[in-house]
Amino acid sequence: MAKRPPIGNRIRELREQHGNMSQAALAEAIGVTRQTVIAIEQGRYSPSLESAFRISRVFGVGLEDVFSWLEPPGN
Amino acid sequence: MSFREKTAWSMGAILILAGIWYFQRVVGLSEALGETAAPNIRFVIGYIVLVVLASIFINILIASASGKEAEAPADERERAILDKAGHWSGYVLAVGAVAGLWHFSWMNDGNLMFHIIFGALMASQIAEYAFQIFLFRRGV
Repeated sequence: MAKRPPIGNRIRELREQHGNMSQAALAEAIGVTRQTVIAIEQGRYSPSLESAFRISRVFGVGLEDVFSWLEPPGN
Repeated sequence: MSFREKTAWSMGAILILAGIWYFQRVVGLSEALGETAAPNIRFVIGYIVLVVLASIFINILIASASGKEAEAPADERERAILDKAGHWSGYVLAVGAVAGLWHFSWMNDGNLMFHIIFGALMASQIAEYAFQIFLFRRGV
């Protein structure tokens, strides 16, 4: 299985806060497929910097309010 | 399932079935001759026509069922998957080509070399779609 990137995100939470925005609506807003939004939400894919900025702009928050670096245990 | 994953499944199936069709004829002819059959251009053209017609038909069906998604270009994740799968499938082709050359150096059978390399070409195409499905499901 592909190694998961050590990046967490609050996309699901932010979608719910924004009137239960659907994954499809977010996907359309940032110009990717719904499957890519699902993969980002589940931590199976790290978006490009451009897409990360697009996501944060859709929610009107900063990049670090959406994404966070997950420190591996012991570091 | 995304449009591109559906396409990968259908193309993989088409290539496997067309490959079976092709090699059934090559093996049948070789058994009848009692030696490795020479490359037969009719079989090769038959394989290509079969793959092209089946893929056009299946892709029209999938595209008509997928709506807007079929018209959209690949996004960044899909492009990464397509690139990686294409890169990995190149190794399958390389291994097959080396195997064909190795057989030729030992057995001096050019016909067998052709079939091994043509088979490797088919296998690498099938592997490309298999890698795409794997990456679509497991992450890139």
